[in-house]
Amino acid sequence: MEFDLAFYPGCLILQRMPEYEAAARAVLRELGIELEIVQEAACCGAPVAESFTTDWVYLAAYNLALVERMGHDTVVTLCGSCTNALTRAALALRDPAMHAEANRRLEAQGLSVTGQVEVKHLVRLLAEREEALRTRIVRPLSLRVALTNPCQVFRPGEVMGFDDAMEPQSMRRLVELTGAEVLEYGGENECCGATLYLADRQLSLAAGRRKLEATHGADLLLHGCGNCHLLLRHFQHAIVRDEPGLRQRALVLPQILGLAMGLPADELGLREGAWE
Amino acid sequence: MKHPESCIQCGTCVTVCPVEMVGGHAIVTFLADPDATDYSAWLCTSCWRCQEACPAEVDIYELMMEQRRQEAAPAGYQAAFESVLACGLALEIPQDELDQVRAQWGLEPVRIAPAEVVRLVLGQEKASRDE
Repeated sequence: MEFDLAFYPGCLILQRMPEYEAAARAVLRELGIELEIVQEAACCGAPVAESFTTDWVYLAAYNLALVERMGHDTVVTLCGSCTNALTRAALALRDPAMHAEANRRLEAQGLSVTGQVEVKHLVRLLAEREEALRTRIVRPLSLRVALTNPCQVFRPGEVMGFDDAMEPQSMRRLVELTGAEVLEYGGENECCGATLYLADRQLSLAAGRRKLEATHGADLLLHGCGNCHLLLRHFQHAIVRDEPGLRQRALVLPQILGLAMGLPADELGLREGAWE
Repeated sequence: MKHPESCIQCGTCVTVCPVEMVGGHAIVTFLADPDATDYSAWLCTSCWRCQEACPAEVDIYELMMEQRRQEAAPAGYQAAFESVLACGLALEIPQDELDQVRAQWGLEPVRIAPAEVVRLVLGQEKASRDE
């Protein structure tokens, strides 16, 4: 049965990772889910605006209000930061004074917010459909995958309310559906360090290097967050420099799922035959 | 910064912090040692591991954010915030480029929030740079 969910892309996906969105859409379509993008969405609010003003919550509330206006009760996200910020904002709106102030600010835009929208990251959405996914795997992969769990999808545990907060298993289970082996390298639950980039570029690259060193021997790195993918794929050249031995291929979760589901590589943002 | 009363200075937060693992000093350095001065509230990856691991349930994230709001921001953060105020997103992407990329990938066209709406909602009407 086909149904639609709202989709909040966030800046990293829009600016840098159309393949992540394309692959997520391709995989979800196979499960009968179409994503309807949130038009006129703004920055999720955290940690950028949050570092400057407590009013960041109203920016997140604006995004939630857009989802409500579309008539959706669930919004799908691909990035950990957006997932975390929008979820925390929905929780903050339970405070009556904050809720009233959010609606006062949104009224001028013809919007209102209840804060009842459920924010659901792709990992969670897919984990809820593990059995449906399993039946669609037609091309098992023999790859060794080093994954990084998207921190902000699982923590703080009492807010995100999904999987084990410190040692989540849902992404590993999804990868194992494809037949791929998930490499135990000890850093699955260690942050990639990407979001450090805004404050200290060198420390961020050092964190990325730590990850590349620890995952030596994997066939590829696998991400479920725009931040991880930004640092470890897009900025990898700045980490590796003249040490090609550190180089790793990096994919996002729906790309590997899509491959195992036999979807055309170009729909997943991959070159045909590159993964045979 | 005032050291939180509920903190028992056990240092658990330091052991799980990805900033500390690569030699940086985050707010957790201060939590473990109230006399420490060589740390920054801006050095954080928002991974929430310290908060999750804290046995005293200190709201480390909020403590850090409160401190940030009293300090001048590093250039990267400042630029990202100005971008939010000027174009609605922390990373700027001109509409024509966005249209082009999305068409290339067969993705539906999308518009970004009008910047003036973002500033109004954030209560930052006067703080924006020139457009």
